[in-house]
This record gives sequence, structure tokens and C-alpha cells, in this order.
Amino acid sequence: MTSHRFNRLALTLGAPLLVFAVVLGVLSFANRASDRFADGATGGLPGVPAGVAVPGDTAAAVANLEDAVRDDPASADFQAALGDALYQLSRETGEAALIERSQQAFDSAIALDPEHVTATIGQGTLALARHRFRRGLEYGLTARRLAPDLVRPYTVLIDARIELGQYRAAAQTIDRLLALKPTLAAYSRASYYRQLNGDLDGAVKAMNFAVSASGGSGEGAAYVQSLLGELNIDRGRYGQARDAFEAVLAVDPGYLPAREGIAHLDATSGRVDRALRSYRAIVAEQPIAAYALAMADVESVAGKDAAAQRHVDLAAREIERLRASGVNADAGFVLFEANYGKPEQAVELGRQTWQEAPSVDSANAYAWALHQAGRDRAASRFSERSLRLGSADPAFLFDAGIIARAAGRTAQARRYLERVVEQSPRFSPVSGPKAERLLARLR
Amino acid sequence: MKKLSILAALLALAIAVSLSAGSSHREAPNISLDPAADNTDTYAFTAADAPDALTVVANWIPGQVAANGPNFFRFDDRAAYYINIDNTGDGEADIRYRYTFKTKVNGSGYQHSVPEVTSLTDPDLKQREFYSVVRETYKNGKLRSSKRIARRLQAAPSNVGSKTMPDYSTLANEAINTVKGDTKVFVGQRDEAFFIDLGGTFDSINLRLPPGNVGGGKDDFSGQNTNSIVMQIPERLVTKNKQAVSSPDAKNAVVGVWASTERRSLEVTNADFNKKRAPSKEKSRGGDSDFVQVSRLAVPLVNELFPPVTKKDLFNRTEPSTDAKLFGKFVLQPELARFLNEQFPGIVNAEEENRTDLVQALLQGIPDLNQHKGVKGPPAVDTLKLNLGTPPASPGTENRFGVIGGDMAGFPNGRRLGDDIVDIELQVVAGFLTGNKVPLGDGVDQNDKPFLSTFPYMAEPTGGFESNPSDRTEPVHEPVPAGGTASSQAPRVP
Repeated sequence: MTSHRFNRLALTLGAPLLVFAVVLGVLSFANRASDRFADGATGGLPGVPAGVAVPGDTAAAVANLEDAVRDDPASADFQAALGDALYQLSRETGEAALIERSQQAFDSAIALDPEHVTATIGQGTLALARHRFRRGLEYGLTARRLAPDLVRPYTVLIDARIELGQYRAAAQTIDRLLALKPTLAAYSRASYYRQLNGDLDGAVKAMNFAVSASGGSGEGAAYVQSLLGELNIDRGRYGQARDAFEAVLAVDPGYLPAREGIAHLDATSGRVDRALRSYRAIVAEQPIAAYALAMADVESVAGKDAAAQRHVDLAAREIERLRASGVNADAGFVLFEANYGKPEQAVELGRQTWQEAPSVDSANAYAWALHQAGRDRAASRFSERSLRLGSADPAFLFDAGIIARAAGRTAQARRYLERVVEQSPRFSPVSGPKAERLLARLR
Repeated sequence: MKKLSILAALLALAIAVSLSAGSSHREAPNISLDPAADNTDTYAFTAADAPDALTVVANWIPGQVAANGPNFFRFDDRAAYYINIDNTGDGEADIRYRYTFKTKVNGSGYQHSVPEVTSLTDPDLKQREFYSVVRETYKNGKLRSSKRIARRLQAAPSNVGSKTMPDYSTLANEAINTVKGDTKVFVGQRDEAFFIDLGGTFDSINLRLPPGNVGGGKDDFSGQNTNSIVMQIPERLVTKNKQAVSSPDAKNAVVGVWASTERRSLEVTNADFNKKRAPSKEKSRGGDSDFVQVSRLAVPLVNELFPPVTKKDLFNRTEPSTDAKLFGKFVLQPELARFLNEQFPGIVNAEEENRTDLVQALLQGIPDLNQHKGVKGPPAVDTLKLNLGTPPASPGTENRFGVIGGDMAGFPNGRRLGDDIVDIELQVVAGFLTGNKVPLGDGVDQNDKPFLSTFPYMAEPTGGFESNPSDRTEPVHEPVPAGGTASSQAPRVP
């Protein structure tokens, strides 16, 4: 019943995204650039009111900017700054209504000044967060045209292009960003691009630059260090992964992605009870689909099927809520439908998602939906597309192995599963052991 | 007086964006800010206790709230931090001091430190930050020499609190070093020296006019910390003729100072990886990637208040030598002047066009004070121009308004820690130097902690356990006229 993959994908979620996920309904169990870096496109730029970081108190910044907007309703700058502040606050508090208000503030700014750069970037960020990738790309292009000297539009462009599967263009934009302003935002995107291309060591190297650039404190540091932990799980360096998560927790003991990382490492090394205790606390604190499904996986390993089902149901409700709030379907939705819903519906959703955003993620999700629907020849074609960049994602490789086996291509299935087992047998508490069992049979 | 709050908000935002979100781990990172690389404040002055040396303070990672748990605010081990000195006035660095860092973790675990840390070498200090300093000299923009003047010096750690660090002063003093060339260096956490009412207390914000400047503002930085590089360099090592400065009129008297930060530019396609995968196709550009400047800072608030938002990144990656071309017009026609006029109609009356007075005061230097000698123009370049021959005010007699208050040893002749930048710049933008003296101010007149009278001058950081953000509010005082009480002595610029 439980899926092999949600827990791994869940882990790829960055911290601010957690809150963000709840807020906006970003389905955190999808490994998407726009989710990972949703924050990159926001924030203030000195010079004019665009920033929000009145020290320590975003809520106060919001209040002040609301005052300013009231006093001077004709100022697009204040509206845009308010949009940024509200967006920031939504990430900190998880209040979904703030996103709507943020959107309204950006829209008001655009109504006052159709060429307002900060507001255009804000609109792009929110479009990406709602999985409207093409629209996000358009906003990014507009912002860059309006402000060719500014690097901030690049983050929107990169995230959109990655989501849309425009990898060559994404790479060029990342290189441009790295050349113009190498920062945490640039390094972490470079890392993600390398990861997508199967260069996990290179991804770790770039992420180490991001960690170093973070200055060691604040959520930015926790965020990229947790991603470093995830990368190390993917390449089978579990000790280094634990180190990364523990380094986060030494500074911020409550940081959920790092706690989840430790729980995952526990769950895949026989410490299931401890993992379950951790997950219970995590899900209680942040009942998003990613964590609920990761917990369900561990529960199913522990033989607690009823509890697992409850957490799948929890995830289903969460996803329903997200859909209702206007978040477009993406790979994460497709996978959920394929595993827990109606396979044919998943195939249709997968096809739409692939058409909208032909990324490796979309290809993988579509392939898996086709497989679940018993259409393994078609599934094989898309699983090849999911690996077209040379992915080293153990979840992708596992899926490709299962699909190849179902399609009767045993030798290929063995190769994929061998890679999973050699590279990272602990990528999932459910699928890792399953890969080992299948491989034993195929040999 | 609601309108005034808008100005406060504008200023707040302009400045706040150069702050980090570093204040709280509960905040999501706003990663378009880059606290570990963003220069926040640069100071250059002649210290009263070291009249024959240039003293420079450069800060990064501002607004550190000590109370927020076991945070450790560190420099980026992969970045390069610079103090730049231009001794000819062309906006090109002639001497650069390059600081690079290496954080070492002692033993296992990730704790910063455990009780009691009594010295920098104490094993209870788990995370240690070491740094090296290289002195580079340039001629016409070309590197002439590069010499390591310090190796493996240790930075003062973050002040965790009195339980772990019972005698922080002694500990931090161990981080004062004298290196090659009789140059003093200190690196580490310090009390945030910048003071401003960012507009958190709108009711009391003191931009009322007239009579203006009457205190009552809340220092939004009180009780917060920053990371500093402080150095004190004998004059002969920074002047253009390699001689000490004999008098304020000497040809070598003026130096321009700024701080900057560089980061390595990676390439997204990893050459090593592609070599393995497709040895023939991909060509490696080889080795580590180039360093790219990501931030610079000289005259305070210049990059916050003058270039528009769309030019901000360009400003940060360029050199002062191109400032006139790229950003001159934004100083000549300052948005802030227009804004002040809009907000205070009939009261401020600032000139909005052709503000050569601003260009001169902030970018060219004031004639016979801090303008470089022997350079044509002089070029408008954003450096902190300090006349090393100006005698420092004797301690206790400094005027927070600096030059416009008749104290020639203060801003914009360099910048001292106590110079009231916000009040000065508001008044100068309003037109002080051309006779339009408006008593603008933010209501905060000084830092919450007194500065030290000796190197490294920056006050000690607030400790984590003690942290109880001081929330300092400036006492309301009698109205102070524009430029302070001694304003009649201030020079007039055309």
C-alpha cells in the first residue's frame, strides 16, 4: 500500500518550504526547483523599499508597510515591499491567507506601475509556487527585461526553466548568475542542476559552497545544510548525511527537515521505534503530505498498516486542500494519485503534467502512473526520459528498474536495481530493501 | 504626522535590506540577502591614541541577536574579504588587504563552545575561526606585489555568554595581533556600532519639523552584534609616497578607503564530472573558478539611498572608478531629495537637480579637507576619503555631526564610529552645504554602548546569556539645530 518514494522525495524539501508547503500547498513531496528555492526570488533589494528584514520582526515590518500603504496608497514601491513582507511572513508562520494578501499587494503594485520590477518578480515567485511554470517564466523574462542589471530575476528564470525541462537554458542562466553574483542562491541552484545530471559529488561540492556562504547561522544555513544531508543520502554517505543534519540541529534543534533526515536515517538502519517517535512529533508539528507519507512508509515497515493508512488519508486531505486552493498538479500529485488513487486518473494527470512541464520529474511521475495502470511499454519510454540527463536519483533508478522488469527487460532492470543497491540502499525504508530482494531474484 | 512615518519606512527599508535575517532562526532565510558577504558598514578614521596610523573598521553580518540560541556567526571560509585603499584618488585600489578564513571544529559534535572558555586555545572552544592576511599593492590597477603578512591568526569567538565565557574581554583581547609592518589587526564579533531608528516606533519617530532633532528615537540596533575586521596601519604603508603624513596640507594626506567581498564563481557544469563521463567533448576551463566581487561599501548609505533598486547589483560588482559614469546621475538628482520635498512640502525645500554639492561632499571630497591632491577632476568615486593629517578630536569632544557640526575629523572626512550618519545625510541631502539647513534627524544620536578608547575601538558584543535586547531609546532633549550647535563653523560648498 505505501509507496516506495514519498519519504525520499519528502526529504528533498527545504526548510522554508515546509512552512511554505503548508501555506501554499506546495506539495512538498515533489523535488522541484521552485519549491527548493521558492525563497530565492523574494526579498529585498536595497535602494528603494523592497526589503522586509526589519531586524527580528517580519510582522512589525508588515504592520509598518501596511501603515505606509495606507498613508501613500499610490506608491507601487510600498505595495511591492508589502507583498515581499507578506510572502516572507507566510513562510515564517504558515498562514495561507498571507499568500493571498501577498498576491494582492503585488497586483496592486502592478496596477500602479505595470513595469514594477519587484512586483513582477513577486508575481513570478507566486506563479511558480502554484506550479504555473510557464507563467513564472514569463514573469522572469519580463523582470529581466525591465532590470537587466539585476540578478534577482535570474532565480525566477532558473527555477521556471528547470521545472519546464529547459535544462540547457537553465544551465546558461545558472552560469550567468554564478558569474554575476555567486551567493547561496546561486550555489544551491548549481548544486541542484548537477544533482539532476547525476553529478552527486559535484552537487555536494556546490552545496558546500552554499553552506559556507550561509555564514553558519539563520535558516538559510539550516536550509542548505539539510539539502547537503539529502544529497549524502542519495550518494550513500550516511555518516556524512547524519553529520549534516546534526550540525543543523546543534544550531536549531527544532528544524524539521533536519529532524526528518535523522528520522529517515534511523528508519533505514533498524531503529524503527525511534524513527516513529520522531515522525510522530514531526507530523504533529507540520502535518504536510510529505511527512505524513514518510511516516506511513515507516509504519508499514513496522507492520502497523492501520496507522499507515491513517497517515495516507491525512496526506490525501492535505493534497485535496492544496488542489482546492488553486495549486496546479505537478509530479508530486501524479505520484500520489498513482500510488493511492485511481491509476487511470493518475495517467491522465501525468499526461497533462508532462505536457505542461516536460521535466525529468514529470517524466518519472508519468512513467510510474503508466506502470501502475499496467501500461509498461509506455511506462518504459517515459522512464527513459526521466533518466535522460543521466540521473543518479535512487528513486528514479528504482522506478526504472521496476518498470523495466514489468516490461520484460530483465537485464536492464538488473542494471538499474544494481545501481540503487550499490549507490544508496537506504534511500527508502520500503524500496531500498525491496530493491535488494528483487535484485537477488534477478541475479 | 503620519507622513513622517513614510520617510521612516523608506529609510528603514533602504537600510534594513542590508541587514541579515540573521536575527532569528525562526525566520525563513531571505536568501537574496547575503549576510556573510554583504558589507554593512565601513569606518576610516585617525584614532586619538594612534595619530600616525589609519584605522579601518569593516563590518559584515549585521543585526546579530545574541539571544537567539547557540548561533555562531562566521565569515565564509570560501570568500575573500578586502580592505581597499586608494591613495591617488582615481577610485582604483592601490593597496588591498585580503582576509581569508578557515573554520576548524575541535573534536566531535557541533557545539560552538562549552564552559569555561578562558583563552582562545582553550579546548572548550570547539569552533575556531582562523584567518590569514595578504597585503597586495597595485599600480594602475595591476597587481604589483602580494605578501602574506599574517597566517593562522585566530578570530575572537561569538560571545556565548558569561557562563561559557566568564571573562570575554580577556578572551577577545587575545585576538588583537600586531603583524608584519607594525599593523594591528583584530577580527571577531563586536557590538553593532550603527545606530538608527528604523521606524519600529512610529509614534515617537523624530522627524518632526521644526524644531527637529530632539531625541526620542529607538535604536533598533541596540543590543545587537556584528562581525568586524579592524586594522590599524602606519601611515607610511598606505600613502602614495610611502611616507608618513606631515600635515593636513601634505600631498599624500588623503586616502580613500572601502571594504569589499568576493566569492568564487563556480561553473554549473562540473568539468571534472564531464571529463569522467565524456572525456573528449567537454573542455575544462580548469582549476578553481574566478573570484567575483559581490559587495562593496564605503560612504554609508550611498548604495542604499542613491542607485535605484535596479542598479544595486551592478553597484556591488563594480569598482569606485566607474561610479561617476554609472551612478553619478543618481547622486546629482537624488530620489531622496524629491522624497523629502514631497513629504515635507514647504519645509525641506531641497534642490532636486544638479546636486554638485552632494557629489562633492560624498564622492569627490571637500576641497582643502579630504579631496585628493594631484588628481584631475577630482573623480567622483565612492570611497571614504580621509585626510590623515587632520588631527583627531580629543576624546569626548567629538561632534556627532562631524564636518557639518564643525568637527573636521568626522564624516565625511572619513567616518568615525560615533558619527551620526543618518542625521548628517538627511541634513546634507536637504541642502545643508548650500545653506538650506533643516534640522532633520531620526531621533537616535549615539550608539547604545560606549566605544572603546583603544584598539579595536568597537564595543564588546552582548553575550548570549545576558542578552536582553537593550531597546535603547534616546532621551528627548532640547531641539538641536541643523548641524548641531557648532554648525556655524561648517564649511560651505558651492
